[in-house]
Amino acid sequence: MRRRFHDLLCYAALGASALVAIYPVLRVIGVSLRPGDQLLSTSLRIIPRGATLGSYRSLLFEMPFPRWMLNSTLVAAAVTLVGVSLASAAGYAFSRYRFRGRHSGLVGLLITQMFPVTMLLLPLYVMLSRLGLVNTFAGLIVAYTATALPFCVWQMKGFYDTIPTSLEEAAGLDGCTGPAAYFKVILPLTLPGLAVTSLFTFMTAWSEYLVAAQVIHDQDLFTLPLGLRGFQSNMTTEWGLYAAGSVIVSVPAILVFLAASRWLISGLTLGSVKG
Amino acid sequence: MWRRLSGRVRGASIACLGASFLVAGCAKKERSDLSVWHQMEGEGKRVLQEQIDRFEAEHPGWEVTQLYKETEELRTHFQTAAVAGSGPDLVYGPADQVGPFDAMGLILPLEEFFAEEELADWAEGGLVYHRGHLYQIGDRVGNHLALVYNRALVSDPPEDTGALIRLGKRLARDEDGDGRPDRYALVWNYSEPFFFIPFLSGFGGWVMDEDARPTLDTPEMEAALRFSVDLKDRYRICPLDADRETADALFKSGAAAMIINGPWAWGGYTRAGVDYGVARIPRIEETGLWPAPMISTKGYSINVAVKGERLARVLELLRFLTSTRVQLEFTRVLHTAPARKSAREASVVADDPLLRQSLHQLEVGRPMPIAPEMRAVWDAMKPNYQAVMAGAKSPAEAARDMQALAERKIAELNE
Amino acid sequence: MRRSPVPYLLIAPATAVLLVVVLYPFGYNVVISFSNMSMRHLRDWSWIGLGQYRKVFADPVFYGLLAKTALWTAVNLFFHVSFGIGLAVLLNRNLKGRAVFRTLLILPWAVPQYITALTWRGLFHPEFGDVNLILTRWLHLPPVNWLKTLGGSFTACAVTNIWLGVPFMMIVALGGLQSIPRQLWEAADVDGASAWRKFSHVTLPLLKPVLIPAVVLGTIWTFNNLNVVWLVSNGGEPADRMHILVSYVYRSAFYLYRYGYAAALSMVIFLILLVLGVTFLRRTRAEASGTV
Repeated sequence: MRRRFHDLLCYAALGASALVAIYPVLRVIGVSLRPGDQLLSTSLRIIPRGATLGSYRSLLFEMPFPRWMLNSTLVAAAVTLVGVSLASAAGYAFSRYRFRGRHSGLVGLLITQMFPVTMLLLPLYVMLSRLGLVNTFAGLIVAYTATALPFCVWQMKGFYDTIPTSLEEAAGLDGCTGPAAYFKVILPLTLPGLAVTSLFTFMTAWSEYLVAAQVIHDQDLFTLPLGLRGFQSNMTTEWGLYAAGSVIVSVPAILVFLAASRWLISGLTLGSVKG
Repeated sequence: MWRRLSGRVRGASIACLGASFLVAGCAKKERSDLSVWHQMEGEGKRVLQEQIDRFEAEHPGWEVTQLYKETEELRTHFQTAAVAGSGPDLVYGPADQVGPFDAMGLILPLEEFFAEEELADWAEGGLVYHRGHLYQIGDRVGNHLALVYNRALVSDPPEDTGALIRLGKRLARDEDGDGRPDRYALVWNYSEPFFFIPFLSGFGGWVMDEDARPTLDTPEMEAALRFSVDLKDRYRICPLDADRETADALFKSGAAAMIINGPWAWGGYTRAGVDYGVARIPRIEETGLWPAPMISTKGYSINVAVKGERLARVLELLRFLTSTRVQLEFTRVLHTAPARKSAREASVVADDPLLRQSLHQLEVGRPMPIAPEMRAVWDAMKPNYQAVMAGAKSPAEAARDMQALAERKIAELNE
Repeated sequence: MRRSPVPYLLIAPATAVLLVVVLYPFGYNVVISFSNMSMRHLRDWSWIGLGQYRKVFADPVFYGLLAKTALWTAVNLFFHVSFGIGLAVLLNRNLKGRAVFRTLLILPWAVPQYITALTWRGLFHPEFGDVNLILTRWLHLPPVNWLKTLGGSFTACAVTNIWLGVPFMMIVALGGLQSIPRQLWEAADVDGASAWRKFSHVTLPLLKPVLIPAVVLGTIWTFNNLNVVWLVSNGGEPADRMHILVSYVYRSAFYLYRYGYAAALSMVIFLILLVLGVTFLRRTRAEASGTV
C-alpha cells in the first residue's frame, strides 16, 4: 500500500514537471493557430477560438520558408558530418595515444568553453573575410563546427576510453585489422558517443543566430533562424508567422532528439565518467 | 603512405574531403552585384524591391540585392562588416547613424560627387552633414510622431491638453468594475524615450545644446515627466503600462481612442481597418507650446570600401533611389514626406489628406540631433524614463539621474 | 609508445578549425584588450598597456555585475542540479509510462533556445503573459510587474534558464543512476536505512563522478549565457540593470563601441572562470580517482 501511495506521489510530481516542461511549447503552438485579429489576446486557451492554419499556409506558400529549411538542413548536415568525423578522429587520438601536447590539448579544449563568445564575433568575421568565407555556407560550417568541437572531442575521448584496447588486439589476432576492425568491432560500441556528438553538432547548427546574421548577406542563403527573425521587426512583430515558423523549426530538432534519446543517457554518462 | 594510416584515419580523411567538396560547391564567388542594406519594413521593403527591379530593367546586366535588418542590428552588422572591409555598398537608415559611422571612418564623404545644382533640390534637413562633410542623401524626412485618432470614437481631435483630458474622461469607461477604465483615451509606447520627446519639447525642454552637451536636468524635464505620469495615474486616461505592441493592439482593437505613433505604423492601421486621422499632438495648456516631435531624415550612405568603377555604379544606383520618381512612389504608399522639393510640389502630396496632416505636424517638429553623443543621451534617458512611468522614481530624481548618466556615458564614448 | 605521426594527423583537422575560429579571435581579443580601440579610434588604435583593465576594476559597475553574475550562476545551478537529480530519481523508479514522461521532460532542451527565450519573455508579459493571467485568474494573486523591475526581470531570466537547463542535468543524473547496481540499494534496505539515508550515502556519492563534469560545464555555460539574459530582458531592461557580465560586454562593444574596454572585460571574465575551474578540478581530482 505504501508503495502505491509513493508511486502516486511520483506520478503527481512527474506530471506537474512535465506540464511545466511542455507549457511554453503548447503556448507557441497555440499562437501559431490564432486567427489574425487575436494575436495579442488574454485567452489562456491552448487551441484558440476559430483556430486556423492560416499562418502555416502563409508561411509555407507565401514566404521563402522552404528555402530557409533547405539551407538550414544543408548546413546542419554538413556540420554534423564534419563535426562527427573530426571529433571522433581527435577523440581516438587523445584516447589511444600518448603524445606530446596531449594533456595541454585536453585542458585547452575545456578552456575554450570559458571564453565569452560575444567578443569573438568581430575577429571571427575579420578572419572569415580574409579567408573569403563571408556570405558562404562554408563560413558557417567552419564556425559551427568549431563551436561544437571541444565538447564533442571530450565526449568521444571518454567513449573510446571505455573500450578496452584488448578488443582491438583480439580482433587483430583474429586476422581482422585496420578499417575492418574499426567498423566491425569499435564502431558499434561507440554508437552512443556518436549519437551524442551528432546531436550536439546538429543542434548547434540548426539553432544558431548571431553568427549567421553577421555572416550571411544574401536572402537566398538565409537559414531558419535568420528567416524567422525577419518576422520580428522594429515596430511590429508578425506573431502568427513567427509562432508557426517556430513550431516547424522545432519539429526536426525534437525528432533528432528522440532518435538519439535511446543513446543519450548512456552517451552522456559513459563519456563523462572517464572524463 | 595511405596504407600506413589506420582505417580510422582513412575514414576521417575521406569524410573531410567529401565534406569540403560539398561545401566548396556551396560557396559563392566574388560578387559583381550591388548590395543595399536597409531597415525598411513591410510595405516599404516591397516598394524598394519594385524600384530595384525597375533599375535592373533599365540597366541590363546589373544586379542589385537588398537585405532587411532591424535598425540596431543594421548598425552593429554594418560596423563589423565595414571594419573588415566588406559589407554592403549602400546602407540606408536614419540620419543618426551617420555620426558614429563617420567617427569610425566607415562611410564616404559625398560632396565631391554631386553638383551644387543637384543638391539644391533637397529640402531643409534632407541632406545630412557631419563635421562639415555630406554623408547621407535623404529620400524621406519625417519619422515623426503624431496624434493618430480613431474617427469612429473621436470626431474632432483635441487641440490642447485640457481638451484631451476632458475627452478622455468622457471616453474612459470602467466596464468590468475593477477600478481601471476599459477604454483609454490615449496610449503610446512607454518603453522608448523617443515617444516622450514631444511632451518634453511641449514644456520647453530639449535633450542637448548646440555643443552636444545634455540638458536633461531641467524643470521642463520634470514638468514633462510629471505630466506623462499624471495622464495615466491621476487622470486615468492612459493604461498603466504599454510597450509598442500593447499600444498598437489597444488602438487597433478600439480599446484606446488615440495613439501617438509615427508613419511607420500608419499603414498597419489601414490594414487593420481602422478609420483614422492624423493631427498635431495637442498643445500643452500650461505653456501654450506645440509639442515638437523629433523629425529625422532617412537616407543612403556609401561604404568607405567602395572605389573606382564600382563607385561609379553605386553612385548611379544612389541617384536612382533618391530620384523624384522613386521618392514619390514611397510617398504614395507610405504617406511619408519626400526629401526633395520637386517631389513635395507634386500632386501626389497635395492630394493626399493623410500626408497633408502629417506635414502639418512636421511643421512644428524639430530635427533629431545626429551627434554620436545622442546615443549616450538615449541610453541615459531610457532607464530613467521607464522607471518614472513604472512609478519607481520621481520626476526630479529621474531628471537628475539622467543628466549624470548621460555625462558619464559621453565621457566613456569619447575615451 | 613509439613516436608516430598518427595522433597528430588525427587531431590536425580539428586543431585547424579551432585555430581559425577560436584561437585567432582569442588572440585578437587579447591584443585589443591592451589598446584604446573605440569609436574615435576604430582603425588607428594604439597600445595603451593596462589602461582598459584599470578602467574595468575602477568602475563600480563591475562589482555589481560580478555579484549579479555570481548570484545568477548559483541560483541556476542549484535548481538545475536539484530538479535534475530529483526528476532522475523519479524516472529511475519502475513506473509505467516513464518513457513518455522522459520524452516530455527533454522537450525544453530540444526546442531551439531563441524560440523558447522569446516565448518565455512573452509568458512574463505583465498584461498578456500567461504567468500573470494564471496568477490573477486561477490563483487570485496580484499580478507581478515582471519585466519592469530588477527582481522580476532576474526571476524571469532565471526561470527561463532553469527550465532550459534541467533536462541536461536530468539525463546525466539518470545515466549515473542507471549505472548504480540495484544490490547496493537493496543492501541498504536490509540495513534498515531510510530513503534519505539511501540517497545521501549510496546514491549521491556514486553520482558524483558523473555529475562533476556536468556541473563544471553547466557553471561555465550559465556564467557565460548571453542568449537567455539578452533575449528575455530585451537587452538589459529594466534600466540597463538586468545585466550579467557577458551581456554587458556585448552592450559595451556593439552599442557603445568600446571595443578595447569590452575586450579587457572579457579577459577578466575568462580569467575568473579559469581560476575557479582549475581550483575546483584540482580539488575534486584530489578526492576522486579520476584520470585525465
